[in-house]
This record gives sequence, structure tokens and C-alpha cells, in this order.
Amino acid sequence: MGRRRRRRGDPADAARALPEAIAALSQTLPAGPGPETFRRAKFDRPEAAPALWRLLFRVLSPQPADSASAAPAPEAQARWVKSALRSQGYPRRALAQLPDDGSQGARELLLALAWLLARGPLPERLLAQNRVRLGDEMPVCQCEALASPGPPAARVEADSCVDIRHLQWLMGKLRFRWRNLMASQQEQCVLLSKIHSYTRGCHSDRSLGHLSVTETELLRDPEGGRQDTVLGACPPEASQPTFLPKIPGPGAGDLEPLARELLALQEELREATEARRAAWEAGVGGRGPEWSASRRALQEAVGQELAALQRAWEQGGGLGQPHGPGRLVRTEPGVPGGLGLRATEVIGALRSQEAHLEVVLRRLQGRCRQELAKLAGALPGLIWVPPPGP
Amino acid sequence: MLPAGSVRRLAAELWDALDSCAEQQRQLERSLRVSRRLLRAWEPAETPASEPTPGPGANEEAPSAACTPSPQDLKELELLTQALEKAVRVRKGISKAGEGDKAPILKPGSIATSPATRASARLSTSRGAGSHAAETKPPRGMRYTRVPAKDLPQRRLLSVGDGACMGKGATKPEPGLRDQQIVPSAASRAPEAFTLKDKGILLQLPEVFRKAASRNSCLWAQLSSTQTSDSVDAATTAKTQFLQKMQTTVSLRGLGGWRTEVLALNLVSLRRSNSRESHCRTQPLGKAEGPGYRGISLTCMQSGWPGSRLSVAEVEVEVGRLQKACSLLRLRMGEELTADPKDWMQEYRCLLTLEGLQAIVGQYLHRLQDLRTVVEQQLGPWPEGRLPRASSPCAGGADPIWSPQLLLYSSTQELKTLAALRLRVAMLHQQIHLEKVLMGELLPLVSKQEPLGPPWLALCRAVYSLLCEGGQRFLTILREEEPAN
Repeated sequence: MGRRRRRRGDPADAARALPEAIAALSQTLPAGPGPETFRRAKFDRPEAAPALWRLLFRVLSPQPADSASAAPAPEAQARWVKSALRSQGYPRRALAQLPDDGSQGARELLLALAWLLARGPLPERLLAQNRVRLGDEMPVCQCEALASPGPPAARVEADSCVDIRHLQWLMGKLRFRWRNLMASQQEQCVLLSKIHSYTRGCHSDRSLGHLSVTETELLRDPEGGRQDTVLGACPPEASQPTFLPKIPGPGAGDLEPLARELLALQEELREATEARRAAWEAGVGGRGPEWSASRRALQEAVGQELAALQRAWEQGGGLGQPHGPGRLVRTEPGVPGGLGLRATEVIGALRSQEAHLEVVLRRLQGRCRQELAKLAGALPGLIWVPPPGP
Repeated sequence: MLPAGSVRRLAAELWDALDSCAEQQRQLERSLRVSRRLLRAWEPAETPASEPTPGPGANEEAPSAACTPSPQDLKELELLTQALEKAVRVRKGISKAGEGDKAPILKPGSIATSPATRASARLSTSRGAGSHAAETKPPRGMRYTRVPAKDLPQRRLLSVGDGACMGKGATKPEPGLRDQQIVPSAASRAPEAFTLKDKGILLQLPEVFRKAASRNSCLWAQLSSTQTSDSVDAATTAKTQFLQKMQTTVSLRGLGGWRTEVLALNLVSLRRSNSRESHCRTQPLGKAEGPGYRGISLTCMQSGWPGSRLSVAEVEVEVGRLQKACSLLRLRMGEELTADPKDWMQEYRCLLTLEGLQAIVGQYLHRLQDLRTVVEQQLGPWPEGRLPRASSPCAGGADPIWSPQLLLYSSTQELKTLAALRLRVAMLHQQIHLEKVLMGELLPLVSKQEPLGPPWLALCRAVYSLLCEGGQRFLTILREEEPAN
């Protein structure tokens, strides 16, 4: 009953609420155009188009842009916005047909904005992206770690380097950088830990207890270079792009390796099962009369186990596990955690992940060894001496 | 020699890895610089602080305050002075500062005011006195008279307070102080500096900041509470209808028949959603977990329906998931293959498991084929740029509603272990990816090369080290010589 009453009143309410909502929206969105622009866009006025292209660019790019980064040219922005929308599944083709110079398409862009707003909590996501992070954050999940390279550094791509030694050199360089990273990170942990313990009891928020680097920095330099140092103290955010941010998405190329792996798996499984099934069928005569009952029970049990496994695999890293950055808070060892994730749990999860990944890596390396050993076997007269084990 | 194309591709992959390491290193070093600076002694700012107007940060006490200190201030200052005297005595006792210069003790007033000046300039929230004990360095020369006057102009309140306070303490530095008040010397360095280690616990966040922070968390809480209110249902319906309208305008000629189509869409999506339960958990834009959005993802996930396709971003998520599932599947298979069944029941169970795994792989291959058709369909009327490697859903900002969760650690060692493990897992991911890429290119090359002379052997050796030893160790190839008889 209440619903119906509400709906009848809706049009009047909506008419009043709409201007407010639009005003609020233009304030919230970064680079938000004014309400007048929105109205013009509704009528597809060309003067509203550039503002909306810019807005969509800001809204869709994953990194929080600020004035420091050079904004790409309008044509590049327009093309990027089109690709990004398409990769998110924007259904209307009219968008693709808009000219790249950003002079038209206000109404279509307004529709696209509405589509984005309807699909997800866009303003909240933007807020969360653009806010100042006060705490010392460490991502709890594995998603971003070493995943996204920054702007491509100047690479010495000499065409003459067709030697495998170039690759070996690059590999060595990579190992060196990993070691450096590890050392720097350990040092940063020590420093963070010191700062946290030295400022214990200072925070107004009791559940936090101590200050973070950002907050301490704020206290050190409340005037003067505050903006720079606060930003500098903020935990690593994505680097400011001077190039267009990458649009996520697999090419057909990404699916190939996966397909190959699956096919290889299928082949191995087929071999194994055929052999065992044959052996089993051969020996089945010796089973007792209780055979059929237990057989059904086993089938069911295995079916359930595999279904559970499959669910776990497909969900892996999804809902159950924590995501996103966590603010580091130092506590006394015995204190019960209240609301917060304990480092020990995360460490446990990471250790099992590490073990799993190491197994995978060893397996891959082992496969390579086998292949190369096959080749070596084809050549008589040579002795292959593998290096001593690790 | 390797074909140039191969080397370029592989080098590009390695450079990607190198670049992301470099990026992370840069960010780490930035944080390190900041942290190191905080742990050093906090010297006054280098910029000549002759500007009387303080920064926007700690405004609460300066301009509006009267130029004469209240009696309360003076009293607080006096208490502070006494506390500082005691602290200084204790520190003197502890530190074997060789210079028997007791000047700091003799001039408690000056010491009290100078760090107090600086301190309250930055730290205190109350009106006058911050409470900071002076750090006594062995004073260099007669530094104690040269109060860091560059701070005094910033806080006129306390500079006058200084003058007044001087009357209580030693009189000697007073003229000097007054002089300094008029002529701030930017060059002088304070003999006493603040270090986090000793006085960190005395810090306090400014009032403005605290108020802003609490308002901020209130607002976030309000925001998350509105997500669960009743009006969200009407909003969800409206959103769903809008999205469906958008979808169907693609495949229909006019908008006339869209109502019936939308109904049909609804039914089909419901039916499909029941059978494809496992798909419905992905969220297109980060974790759009709020109640208003759960319905949306269902319609967006239907593949094969003419108007609604999986978006490329969703395909990518699915591919990532399949990859993970694939490696776990392989692990499980390995376990089963190496298991040693003791009786026929176990043997049968093993067989069933393997057959079940085989069926699952078949399913995944079908799914992959679906994804492939989706990706191929998407090429066409849309402008195509180079689609780079997957970036994960977390990149979108995982949980927009709530402030970040707390990650509690209890010792430095724990934090170090945590960070080290994170890095190790990331490096392993990278290494595995590189290994697969290298294998894909190098193994075929090595097996196809015909001339089996020394260059080929060198290549083999290099490939072995890259692929099997992570580039760290090399094998040795010896030629078997006929024994000379």
C-alpha cells in the first residue's frame, strides 16, 4: 500500500528532486560540468559535447588524475573513452560513430554517463579513488602488486640485439631489481614500525592508536610545503600518466595460452583415465556383492567433492577474501582485534599462495628440463652436465 | 641467432616486468625519504619564516588570539618550564654529554619557550602551551641565547608570551630575545630539536583535522546506511529497467516493441541465471556490492543473447578466474596421479575423481570457446586499440563504501614478513608469467633449429639456464672424446 502511494506522488517529487540531484552530481563528479551543460546535453547541443567527453575521460580512467599530469589531446581522449566504454560493455553503437574531435554527441554521452551510474556506485568509487589516504596502507589482496607497469621507460631497443644474451642480461637486471625492491621494502617496514610505535597514543581515534606517516608528516610541516609532503607521504598511488591509461581486456592472444594449457591438461587426464578405467574394468569381476551400493555412494561423494572444489576455484579471490588496501595499525600482541584483519592471517594465506606458486614454477621448469633432455638425447657424443641442485 | 621478432617480443615482456619493478621502487623510495625525514630530528623549516601569517593548517590559535597571553597561558608555561627542567636534568644524567655546559639548565625559560614556540606552532590544540621537553644537544657555543627567532614571528601570541615569561626566568637572555624578535635570523639553527623517538608520544593532531576526520567518517557511515534503506528497491527497479532499455535498443528496430522484449529478457535472464549461477558473482565495476546493484549484474552477464553480451572487462575477469582454476585443477590432478590406492575403493575413487576432473576441463574449454567468440564479436564497429594485459578488478577501487579495513600487526618482524611475502608472491606471479612466455617462444625455436653445431649448443645452454634455472645457473656440455688407444 505504501508503495503505491509513493509512486503516485513520484512525478511531482521527481520534478523537484531532479535539479537538486543534477546540481549535486555536477559537484561530486571530478571535472563536473555545470547543470546548464547537462541541460544542453539533453538537447544534444554541440557546445556541451567537449565538457562531457572530458568528464567521461576523468570518470573512466582508473588513475586519479590531477593537474600534474598532462591531459591527452581531445581526439585521443575521445577515442580512449570510446574504447573504455566498449570494453565495459556499453551496448549502443551510436557512440562508436561519433566523430573523434569531440564536437558532437552530447546526448549520447549523457546516456553513457547514465548507464555508468546505473551499473555501479560511480560517485562513491570516484570518491574513494580521489580521497587523501591518511593511513599507511598495504593492499591485502594480490591484485595490483607488480601488475601494472607505469609509463614505458625509454628502452634501448637496438635492432642489432637479436642475441639471446640480451635476454639473459635483461633477466639478470630483473633479478637485481627484485632484490633491491625487497631490501627497500624491508627498510620501509622498519621505519614504519618505528614511527607507529613512537607515536603510540597520539591519535584521536582510539581504535587506531597511533599516527600514520601522513599524519605525522602533517604535524611536522603544517604550513609551507604541506601539500607536497602530504602527497609525498601518501602511500603509493598509481603514477600520474602522461600517456593514456590502459584499458583492461584480453586480446585474442590472451586466450591462446590458456586454451593450450587446458588442452594439454585434457590430454593428460585422458591418458590417465583411459588406462585406469581399462585396468578397473578388467578387475571388476572380483568385487563382492556390496559393490553396487558402495559404488553409488562413491560416485556421489566424488561428485560433491568436485563440485565444491570447482566452486572454490571459481570464486577464488572473490567474495570471501578481503580486498583492497588495509590501513596498517600496530597493536600489542595479545590484544583482541576487534574489527580488523590480523597480519598473521594474511601471512598464512600468503604462505600457502607462495607454496602453490612455487610448485607451479617448479613444474614448468621441470617440463622445460624434460623437453631439453629429449633434445639432448637425440645427440649422441655429448654429455650434458646440469648444474648442481639448489 | 634467434629471429628478431621473437627476441623483440620477449624483450618487450621482460621490459614490462622491469618497468613495473622500477615503478614500485620509485614509490618505495619516495615513501622511504618521507619516513627517514620524519625519524630524524625535526628541524625548523628552511624557508625564512618571516611571514607573519601561518599556513592554513594550524590556524586555530594564532590570529584571533589576543596579543597578551592569558594568565592561564602563563601558568601552563610555568608548569611546562618546571617539567622541562626535570626532563633536562634527567637527560643530562643519562647522556654523557661531554660538554659540561650547563647552560640549558640555567636557562630553562629560553629553552621552554623556544621549543614551546615551535611546538605550539605545530602541534598543540589547546590555546597556548604545547608540552614538549627540550632535546638537549650539547650546545654549540652560546647558542642558547639565540632562540630560534624565526619561529617567533609566526606565533605572535607566544612571542609576546616569551617576553613576559622572560621576566620570571633568567634575565640575561631577555635583551637578546627582544632583539631577536625584531630581527628574525633565518640562519640560526635551534640547538634543541624534536625527535619522534623521544617525544613522539606527545604529539597531538590539530583540532581542525580531528573535526574534519570525524565528520568524514560520519558522512561515510551515513552513506552506507542509505544504501540499505527502503528506497533502494525503487531505485534498483528503475536502474534495471533503464539498463534493459539500453540493451534492447541495440537489437530492435524501433522502441515500440521494447516492452514485450524487456519482459522476455527478464524471463530468460532469470532462467539463465539459475543455470549459470557461477557467473553471477562478478561485478563489472569493482565491487559493486550494494543491494542496489546485485540485480544489474545478472542482466549484464548473459552471453549469447543478441542484445546483451559480456563486456571485454568481464571476459578478462573470467579468463583470470579460469587461469587460476586451471592451475589448481592441475595440482589436484597431480595429487590424484601420485596417490597410491590401497584398496579397490580408493582405486575407484581415484578413477572417478580423474574422470570428474576431465569433465571439468571439458567444461572450461567450452567456456573458453564462448569467451573467444565474444571477444571476436566485439571487434568490428568499435575503434580498436591495443588491448594490453589484464588488470584486475581490484584496480577499480575495491570497496568504495567503507573506509579501508584495518590491518593489525604486532611486531616489526611481522610487518617485515608480511611485506616480504607479498613481494615474493608478486615476484612468483611475474616469474611464472615470464616462464610461460619464454617457453612458448624458445622451446619451439630450439627444437626446430637444424644446424647442430656449436652455436646451437650455445643456444641450448642459454635456453636451459633461462627456462630451467631462472637464468641463475648454467649447465655444462661436454663433448665425449674417443679414448685414445
